[in-house]
Amino acid sequence: MSSERIVVQGAGKHFGAVTVFEGLDLAVRDGETVCILGPSGCGKTTLLRAMHGLVPLDGGRVLVDDTVVSGPRRNVAMVFQHFGLMPWKRVRENVAYGVELAGLPKEAVAERVERYIALVGLKGFERHYPYQLSGGMQQRVGLARALALEPDVLLMDEPFGSLDALTREVLQDELLRIYQGSQGVGNGRKTPPAMVFITHSIEESIALGDRIVVMSARPAQVREILSVDVPRPRTVASVVAHPRFVELRDHCWSLLRERVA
Amino acid sequence: MTVREARAQVPGSARRRLFRPRPGDWGVRVGSIAVLLLIWEFLAPGWNPLIIRPPSAIAKAFVELVQNGELQAALVISLRAFVAGLAIAIVIGVFLGIVTGRWRFAYNAFDPLVSALYSVPSVALIPLIGFIFKFQGDAPRVAAVALFCVFPVLINTQQGVRNVDRGLLEVARAFNTSERRLWTDVIIPSSLPFMLAGIRLSIGRGLIGMIVAEFFIGLVGLGYLIIQYGNVFRIDRMFVPVIVVAALGIIFMGLVQWLEGRVAPWLRREQ
Repeated sequence: MSSERIVVQGAGKHFGAVTVFEGLDLAVRDGETVCILGPSGCGKTTLLRAMHGLVPLDGGRVLVDDTVVSGPRRNVAMVFQHFGLMPWKRVRENVAYGVELAGLPKEAVAERVERYIALVGLKGFERHYPYQLSGGMQQRVGLARALALEPDVLLMDEPFGSLDALTREVLQDELLRIYQGSQGVGNGRKTPPAMVFITHSIEESIALGDRIVVMSARPAQVREILSVDVPRPRTVASVVAHPRFVELRDHCWSLLRERVA
Repeated sequence: MTVREARAQVPGSARRRLFRPRPGDWGVRVGSIAVLLLIWEFLAPGWNPLIIRPPSAIAKAFVELVQNGELQAALVISLRAFVAGLAIAIVIGVFLGIVTGRWRFAYNAFDPLVSALYSVPSVALIPLIGFIFKFQGDAPRVAAVALFCVFPVLINTQQGVRNVDRGLLEVARAFNTSERRLWTDVIIPSSLPFMLAGIRLSIGRGLIGMIVAEFFIGLVGLGYLIIQYGNVFRIDRMFVPVIVVAALGIIFMGLVQWLEGRVAPWLRREQ
């Protein structure tokens, strides 16, 4: 059956006596972007890390492709808020990192690296070190590294959270373009990968998400799951201009404000 | 990349070093030494010649010692022990640093010993080294240099291994890295600057070890030249090996720095 790529069932996590989240249920379908929107410290990142088996859950379980996740899986790729680039590797080597570890033959690695560097708009920067790049460009590298794996699932941990507002919007558009484009995410695949996108920005979650999971503060629970009925292909501008945008934003705000203030 | 993005300022660029090298730097450096030498030259005649000789006299002594071959002979002997000792220290220090930095058992096993040996002034162990190696050949002097050099390398390497960015370790895990690739891609490169800093620190200490060992164990090399000419009050000649040792320090430090630029080009922004 499984058009449901990721299923979270009754997930719970404690740090000592503090309950981060409990009884959390969630399902992400193939080709769908689910944004997890919540206040800082509500355990969004912990949940995402649990989806990749980087932290164990104290309750419940995560299934990817109907299999319980116990550690990082080959068909799942992650993009990090802190970029997570190796300062000692050039752009090309950083992008190649995941694909190499996946055990692809040399020529295939080279081909993918070249293609995904071009896709994120970094052609000509292959031999640069991360410190020679701006923050936005560094995250393009992080994105290319994940995309090059041609994963079935993309886990995005506030990838644009540490960028300035301008760069963030540029990259949101880039991500939409890449994700929606025919330009080659998931070579030969009919649908784009399932994407889970952690953010605390309401606008970002509306712009990128097909659905938004609004979380409450600790102990985190799902407040509501919203459908973003804004047609694709989108750009950030087209979403903001859409009549539903303001309604959705105000609704998210009211859901979040109850607990934040 | 878009123009909008290019204009946006990035946090990374604020971390550039305070003093970037400029062409004028070398002029200032050479100039300050020249001024010092000039002052010395003019003040020296007023002092007792048994204590202070002017740079010109030392330069003359330098030429003499080169002409009769004493300096080169001493330099070869000293340098041989220094390079061998430093190399041994790097191998042992890096190895033990990695092992103790990564595994709790090794850390607990070695740390008391390392702390104890590091606290004892290495000079105090020189006579012991002499006895162990029976005061014969290069071995005791090589061992002395290695003893002086090993701790900065070891402790720095250990710190480097322990300070690996946790974020990067998670990245490595998230991409299913193997244990071997974890070392080659993350742990070794990220502790490399610590290792090189340790080696830089150990150069100064190693030169001390070299000279002291020559005073007490070998009675050869540059250290012996210092003793020999000090004993007969040839202050001008005594200064020659001192200056050569200083030059060795500068050259080896420069060498490590050059090496750093070669093997760790991403660090150029930081120093």
